[in-house]
Amino acid sequence: MKKLTKMLLVSSMAILAGCGQKDDGRIKIGASFCAFNDTFQMYMKDAMDAKAAELGDVDVVYTDGKEDITIQLSQVENFIAQGMDSMIVCPTNGDAAKSISDAAIKAGISIVYLNRMPTELPDGTYYVGSDERTAGQIQGKYIAEQLQGKGQVGVIMGIPGLDNTVKRTEGVKDILKDHPEMAVTREQTGRWMRDLGMSVAENWITSGDNMAAIIANNDDMALGAVAALEASNMKDNVLVMGIDATPDALAFMKDGRLDATVFQDPVGQGAGSLMVAYNLAKKQPVEKETWIPFELVTPENYKDYL
Amino acid sequence: MSNPALSTGGQHLSTDEKKVLIKSIISKYGIYFVFLGLVLFMSIMHPAFLTVNNILNIIRQVTSIGLIALGVTIIIITRGIDLSSGSVLALVSVIAASLAQNPDWGARMYPALPMLPIVVPIVVGLAIGALCGGINGFFVAKTGIPPFIATLGMMIVARGAAMIYSDGRPVSSLTPEYNFIGQGEILGIPFPVILFAIMAVLCYILLNHTRFGKYVYAIGGNEQAAHVSGINVGKYKILVYILGGVMSALAALVLSARISSGQPGLGNMFELDAIAAATIGGVSHSGGIGTIQGTVVGALIIGVLNNGLDLLNVSAYWQMVIKGVIIVAAVVFDMRKNARKS
Repeated sequence: MKKLTKMLLVSSMAILAGCGQKDDGRIKIGASFCAFNDTFQMYMKDAMDAKAAELGDVDVVYTDGKEDITIQLSQVENFIAQGMDSMIVCPTNGDAAKSISDAAIKAGISIVYLNRMPTELPDGTYYVGSDERTAGQIQGKYIAEQLQGKGQVGVIMGIPGLDNTVKRTEGVKDILKDHPEMAVTREQTGRWMRDLGMSVAENWITSGDNMAAIIANNDDMALGAVAALEASNMKDNVLVMGIDATPDALAFMKDGRLDATVFQDPVGQGAGSLMVAYNLAKKQPVEKETWIPFELVTPENYKDYL
Repeated sequence: MSNPALSTGGQHLSTDEKKVLIKSIISKYGIYFVFLGLVLFMSIMHPAFLTVNNILNIIRQVTSIGLIALGVTIIIITRGIDLSSGSVLALVSVIAASLAQNPDWGARMYPALPMLPIVVPIVVGLAIGALCGGINGFFVAKTGIPPFIATLGMMIVARGAAMIYSDGRPVSSLTPEYNFIGQGEILGIPFPVILFAIMAVLCYILLNHTRFGKYVYAIGGNEQAAHVSGINVGKYKILVYILGGVMSALAALVLSARISSGQPGLGNMFELDAIAAATIGGVSHSGGIGTIQGTVVGALIIGVLNNGLDLLNVSAYWQMVIKGVIIVAAVVFDMRKNARKS
C-alpha cells in the first residue's frame, strides 16, 4: 500500500512537473482553498479567475484543501515542486499555518494568505482578507441595538475548531458581554450547512427557551434557522442574522425573511490576493497586510449588494 | 419456569431461573432497552423532550440518515458496505433541485426551462441514485473488488460530479410542490416521517417475506453456498446496491426539499451516520445478520442523541465525545447476546 501510494505520488508529480515544463514567461500561481464546497470561497475563486483573465499572462492552479490543514500543507509542497512563482493559501486554521510558511520560506517562494489570518506572518508571507472577529462584533452590535440591550441569544456555529467559527463567535460575545441584560444562552454547531442549522434551531424551539435572536456564523445556517422558526410560526419573535450576504440570503432579505447579514467582500479579497501574488512573482513592491472591511447589510441597504 | 421447580427447588433455583429469563430478554432486546433508557433519561432531564412535537421533530431530523440506513442495512447483510451514500445524496440533490426551481428566481440554473411537472425532478433524481448504485453494484459483483473500494470511488466521484454540476454553488428557490416532500404534512404528520415509515415497512417486507430477502440473507451468510444452490449472486448484489442508491436519492429529495435548496456539500459524512445506525441496530458486518426494525431503532438512537444533547445544551465538543462513546457502548452491549448465542 505504501509503495503504491508512493508510486502514485511520484507519477502524479512527474505529470504535474511535465505540465509546468513549457516555460513561456507566463506567471504560475498555486492557490489552495479551505474547501470547494464553501460557497463564499467559490466567489473568491471566481474573482481570482476574472482578475487572472484581465491580467492575461498568469495561470492559476486551484486545489481543494477539504478543511484540513495537513492536506493544504501537501498541496503547498506540490506547488513548490511544480515551481510556482508565488502561492495563495486560504488556511483552514490560522494557528497551524506555520509549517506552510516554513515550507514556502525554505523554498524561497512568497506566500499570500487569504481570508484567514495566520497567527504569525514572517518575512516572505503576506495577508489579504478581513478580521473574522469584527464580523461577529458587527452581528453583536446590530442585534444588541435592535433588541435595545435585552434578550437571550443563540449562536449557531460553523465546524468546531475552525478559525472563522471561533473568531466570529468570540466577536459576538465581545459585544454582548457589555450588555448586562443580554447573554449567549445556547451555542451549537450547524457545520456551515443549512439543514443542520435548521435542526439546531428546531431543537432550540422545542426546548422552550425564550430566545430573542439567533446569530449564525454564516448565512446558510441562518437560513436554516429562518425555515425552522417559520415552520413554528415564531419568526416574528426572533431576529436572525448571518454572515456572507450570499445571493440566497439576499433573496431571503428581499422577502423580509432574514433580518440582517454581514457582507464579506469576495471580489476584494479574491482579486486582491491575486494582485499581491502577481506583483510578488514580478518582484514588485506590495503591502504586507491588505485589509478588506466587513459591511453590515440590513433591510435598508441590502439592495446595494444584490 | 415449571411448577415443580418453583415448589421443590425453593428460593434458590427460582431466582436463578428468573435471572436466566431476564438475561435472555435483555440480550434479545438489548438495543431496545438502550433506546428506552436514553428516552427515559432525556425525558427526566428536559420536560420538552417527550412531547408529540419533539418526537416528530426527532424522526424528521433522522429521516435522511434513516432512509440511507435502510438501504445500507441490506447492503451490509450481503457483507457489503456503501460509503457513497452522502455523496450520491449531494449529486441527486443538485440535479433534482435544478429541475424544480421557481421560474421567477434570478439565479436559475436553466433560465429557459419551463415549469416541469413535479414527477420529473423526482424520477430523474431516483434514476440518478439507481444509476450510481448500479455502478457500485456492477464493480462489486463483476470485478470482485472489495465493496469498500468500489463505493469509496463512487463517494469521491459523485461528490465531484455534484460540484461540477452545480459549480460549487447552492441550487435554490424550489417550487412549493417540491418543498412539500420535505416540509409538507398529512394529517399533522410531517411527510418525511410518513415516507420513512412507508420505506421501513417496505424494506421489512422485502427482507422477510420475499425471495429477494431470502437470497440476501443467504448471500451474506455464505456466498459460496448461495452460489452453489443456484442463486444468481451477482444479479442480487447489483440489485442490492441499486436499492441503496435509490434510498440515498430519496434522502436527497427529502433533505433538499426540507431546506428548499440542493447543495453540493449536502450529506457530508451521512454514510457514516447511516452505517452507525445500522450497526447500533445489530446488523453484523460479517454478513447474514441484521433487521430493519433494529436499524430503525439505531437511527432513532442517533436522532435522540442529537436532539436531546441539543436540548440539554451540551457543548458541541462534548457532544462528539458522548456520541462516539454511546455508539460503541451500544454495540458492545448488543454484541454480548451474539457472543452468548454462539
